[in-house]
Order: sequence, then structure tokens, then C-alpha cells
Amino acid sequence: MINIDSGNKELKRIPLYIQGLDENIQGGVPEGHITLISGSAGTMKSSLAFNVLYHEALKGKICVYCSLEQSYKSLIKQMINMNFDMTKASLVIINDLAELRTVISKLKSKGGGGLVMVDMGCIRKEIKDVKTADNKSWLNVIKNVIKRIKEEANCNLFCLDSLSALYVLSRFENPRIELFYLFEFLRDLDVTSFLISESQPQSSRYSEFEIEEFLCDAIIHLRLTPFRRNVVREISVVKMRSTACNNDIFSLEFKHSRFQAMYGGQNPLL
Amino acid sequence: MAIDKKDKNQKLFISPNSIFYLMSKITFAFKRLTKKRVGRLDKKWDFDAQSAISSAPLVADIDGDNKKEIIFGTKKGRLYVLDMSAGIKWFYDSVEKVDEVELMFLDVENVGSIEAPPNVGDINGDGKHEVVFGTELGMVYVLDDKGKLVWKYKAGGPIRGQILLYDLYGDDDVKVIFGCGDKKLYVLNSKGKLVWKFDAGSPVQSTPGILHKDEPKIIFGADNGSIFCINKKGDTVWKYKTKDKVFAQPSVGKLFNDDRLFVVIGSSDHYLYVLDDAGELLWNYKTQGAILAKACLADLNNDKKLEIVFGSCDNNVYALTSYGDKLWSYETDFWVASEPIVEDIDGDGKKEVVIGSYDHNVYVLDSEGSYVLDYVPGLSGVMHQAGHYTDIITQEPGKVAGKKIWQFRTDGVIVGCAYIPDDKSIVVSTKPGKVDDVVHRKE
Repeated sequence: MINIDSGNKELKRIPLYIQGLDENIQGGVPEGHITLISGSAGTMKSSLAFNVLYHEALKGKICVYCSLEQSYKSLIKQMINMNFDMTKASLVIINDLAELRTVISKLKSKGGGGLVMVDMGCIRKEIKDVKTADNKSWLNVIKNVIKRIKEEANCNLFCLDSLSALYVLSRFENPRIELFYLFEFLRDLDVTSFLISESQPQSSRYSEFEIEEFLCDAIIHLRLTPFRRNVVREISVVKMRSTACNNDIFSLEFKHSRFQAMYGGQNPLL
Repeated sequence: MAIDKKDKNQKLFISPNSIFYLMSKITFAFKRLTKKRVGRLDKKWDFDAQSAISSAPLVADIDGDNKKEIIFGTKKGRLYVLDMSAGIKWFYDSVEKVDEVELMFLDVENVGSIEAPPNVGDINGDGKHEVVFGTELGMVYVLDDKGKLVWKYKAGGPIRGQILLYDLYGDDDVKVIFGCGDKKLYVLNSKGKLVWKFDAGSPVQSTPGILHKDEPKIIFGADNGSIFCINKKGDTVWKYKTKDKVFAQPSVGKLFNDDRLFVVIGSSDHYLYVLDDAGELLWNYKTQGAILAKACLADLNNDKKLEIVFGSCDNNVYALTSYGDKLWSYETDFWVASEPIVEDIDGDGKKEVVIGSYDHNVYVLDSEGSYVLDYVPGLSGVMHQAGHYTDIITQEPGKVAGKKIWQFRTDGVIVGCAYIPDDKSIVVSTKPGKVDDVVHRKE
């Protein structure tokens, strides 16, 4: 017999650090949940995820940002331009797998929170044409890195940028099965995960195989909407399990070093 | 229930246990008289390997003491050799030093896992048996009968099928033949040196088999759905394409009790295929699930022809005639992904079919099934029905269905069973790492 805890306990939540939106999702995404951040190019998917990890790292949590394509240098430059103070975040870079153990022990010895950036692009360049025999190799690398950081330094938050790049690298033979195991791996690890998914501007899909939408716990959709000669950046929470959330579309702005969601951003129906 | 005859005041007292004992004796005698199957399956011993197990155990006398050993590998890469009462004779840890960076590219949980049953044979011709097994890391280990490493070989990918030992060239040099995740089928000599390898174009996870007509040929399946037949030089003799991955080992046998050899092999495309020695399809049989394990060929009904017994991921175990007609099927509650055993486990002179299911149960089935009558309406039923009743007259009044005789529940998903002829017991390996020895008891 499985014991079901019937107590309606308050879920611990991770804020998205978007003023105006967090209030509409009971304060944030539930801890341990997997959130899909979907949007086309230029919708600030990476920045939004980085923003969450940055602020949580400042609060003393260990956060891992795994970039498969954008280099850590380019990403850091982008974040500095957005006024993120990288000196405060205890930034640790992993761009050489042989250094992983050293980096983790450095992170542990520092104590407190930290933002670990795994530059998979750099690792890929380093071992180009050497380890590509097995389709699952790169997925294994990502899983092994996050698992080791979780085991040795108690990682709390994880962001994979992006799922689309992972599909190119790992060539899933049976996405439904392999994605199920990937999502279950993240759940078993008990980390709050953000998976970035690249979608086409006018597409109604939020992910490559659509299965991800059913497997994840939450979907945050970002899009660019032309309004006369302006382009408005918009955000909506398509789904969020265990949350009474407002699914309306908000306009999204990054002003004064913070994200803000404003209600009524969508064109009014006339 | 001892009664002191001298004590006249003592009253006769029969306890409920005594009544139960008496009743069971009467029932047993009645069943014997009516030739009904009696007894039950009982656990003789169990062994906890402290690690998950992926495949069936192997039963063989490796050290020539006329007693069988039970040999199996674990997910943690340990090979166990147990005696007949679950005592550890020896074990071998297949631990390999892996470069830190290389390790990151591997599935760490399964990196040293022994996925397939080991094999036993006299590889180096010293008159003693060696144990051979492969690992997920692509290592082939050959150990002597005491567990000492004889040699090892590094292949280019994971080894997930059992390693075949066969004197391919008839020169008394046993060849070590196995499929690999690097899309190759390897043939090594008895010293562990590569003789040749065959490019199958996709990973080879099935265990190879031998089709020996005129000269030996190797039969195996690949992940691209192909069934290959290659000669001893490594050239393709024929190839048969199925529609999905072939994990199962081929069975080769004289199905019709003549000189013709046939290859029987299941595919993940749900079909069981029977091919002749030229790779031509004789017939196929569709199930509703992938067929992952080897089919067992045995004469179930004493018609001098071989019947085919196999499990499917549609939860059923099937018994087919050599012509591809269903004799019977029996449905368990989950996939049947291990090879059935056909043996007389209760010593009544009739063979039984033993299967392990993912539903945690070992089933012992009547090899001939049982005839189940369909509903035949009585006179009142016929009187009240409109139309004519040709169906009732012409159709078979029933059908043969699989008949369960006994069942034994284990602690987990059953990944394989093996039969120990010495004591007519069944060794069952389960995914959580428990190995049970189950035996039939008459009472």
C-alpha cells in the first residue's frame, strides 16, 4: 500500500523574478518541477532562465547553467550588458571535463551559493570527432555532469540551453521513450529544472516533439508580437502543475535590471 | 493427537490442524487417482546479489566436480559462481580503470554492467572449463574454473548479447563470437586475438547462433532489423530484413524431423520468423508485442516434430506447431521477455513449460494446454434463438488454451530462468538482484 500524504502543505516555490508575473503564479514554480521555456529567437529565453539561476545563486543555492551552443564568454558578456553583477554570483566555469572534479571541489570549499556554467560548446570543440560514436554520448555527458554536481555540491537548480541543440547532438531514436527517461532522471535528481526549447515564431507547438509539453510540469511561452511598427515581447504561462496560475498573456520588459510583466500587453480585441 | 489408552477419562480431541492435514492427504490421494497434477512450487533457497541483474543465470559444471554451478553477472559488473545451495564458490569483479573524461560520455550507472548470461566452455583446450562474459564497457573476460583471469579483450562498444563459443573451423580452436554496440560481430580465437569482425551496419545486441549445414554459419540479428547469416570467413551468405530491432537469439532446429534445418527468431516488430537454411521465409507468426528472447524448440505433444514455445511483450507465451499454427497461448500479467524452459519438473514423465514473466511470477504450464469447450446452448437456448444453427454444428466446439499448473511469485521482474536437472529445480533471476531456486514439491 502506498501512503498518500493528504495534508495540503504549502509547496516551496522558486520565483521567476519577473515582477508582475510571480504574483500570478502563487510566487513561482514549485521546487523540483521541470519547466519548459519556449520561444523563438530573440524572445529572451536564455536571459529569463539565467535571471532565475543568478538570483537563486545569490540566495545561496548551487545553480548549473548548461549551454550546448552559446559559449560562456558570449553568455557572460550578454549578462553583463544586462547589468547582472557577475562578481556577486560566485561564477564557476566548466569548459574542460578533465577539470570537473577540481571545479566541484573549489565550489564546495567556497561554501554558500554558486553559479556553475557548463560550456558544452567549448567541450565539443575540444574533443571534436573523438567521442561521437554513440548517439547517447552527449546526453550522458550532461547527465553525468549534473549528477556529479548534485551528489558532491548539492545542486538545486539546472538549466539546459537548449533542448533543440541536444536533439541535434544526441539524435534520439525513439524520442517518446528517451525523453521520458530524461525527464524522470531530472525528477529523481530532485533539482528544479528549466529546459529551453526553440520554437518557430508562428508555431502553436512549444517543443520539437510535442511530448516534452506533456512530460514537463510547466510551460512558459515567450513570443514577439508586432504592433504597428513596434514589436512587443510577450510572456504567458501555458501550464503549471500544482499552481493556480493566470494563463493570460503579459507583455514582458527588461527595465532597470529586472524583468517586468505587464498585464494588457496583448492587442485589445476591437 | 496422542491418546493415552490407559486414561479412560481422556476425551478424543481432534485439532483443526489435524483435520486440515487429513483433508489434504485425502485430496492428494484423490488427485493421484484421477491423474491430476499435485503439489506446488516451493522456494529452496534465495541469494541476494546486492545489485540488479539483467539476464538469466547459467547452470553448468565448470570445475568438473560433477556438481552444477550457477553463474550470473550483475549490473555492478560482478560475476558470481554459486554452488547448488547458494554458497558463493567465487566471484570476479570486472572493474576497469576508465579515463575521467571518457567516463563522462558513458552511462555511469551501467558502465560495467554484465547484461547477458555468461557462457562456459573449454576455450584453451586445457580440459577444464572457462567462463566467458562481456560487459557494457565492451570488455570480454575469460576466467578459469577458479575465477582467475585467463585473458581479456576490449571491443569497440557495449556487449549486450551472450558470447557464443564454437569451434568454427573444426581445428579444435574454440572461437569466441559476439555482437557489439559498435555495429560489429567479432570472432576471436582461443587466445583472445581478433580473427575477423563483420560490419552489420547497426549495433548487434542479439546473441549469435550456429546453423551447421555442410559447414557452420553464424546467424544473428541487428538493431536495423536484419537477420544475418555469415560464413566462417565473415562473408554474408544471406540476409533477411524484419521491420524492427532483433534482440533475440536465433534457435536452429529440425522442425519437421527430417534433414532440413530451420532458423526460428523473433523480432521487435512483433513477428516470429521461421526461415530455411537459405534465408527464405517459411512462415511468420504475429503477436501483439516485441519478441525479445530466444524461442525454445521442443516436441511438446510427442508428434516427433518440434513445437516452438516463446514469450512476447504482449504478455503471452505461445506454443506453435512446426507449421506455424497456434497450439495454445497463456496470458500473464506483463511481458514475457525470457526464454521458456521445457522440462519434466514434477517427474511425471510429461514435459512442462516454465516461463518467467515481468509480472514477478514463474508459471509452470501444461505443455499440451487444455481443451476448453465454448458455450454450447442447451435445448432451451436453441429454441429461443432465431435463424439457423450451422455454426453450432460445423465449428469446433472449443479450443486449446494454455493451462497453468503452478505459479510462484518472486520479489521482482523476472529476467531469466535456468533449469538444474540434478534436482529438477528452476533458478530464477530477478531485476532487483534476487536469485531464487524454486522446486516442485509433491505435497
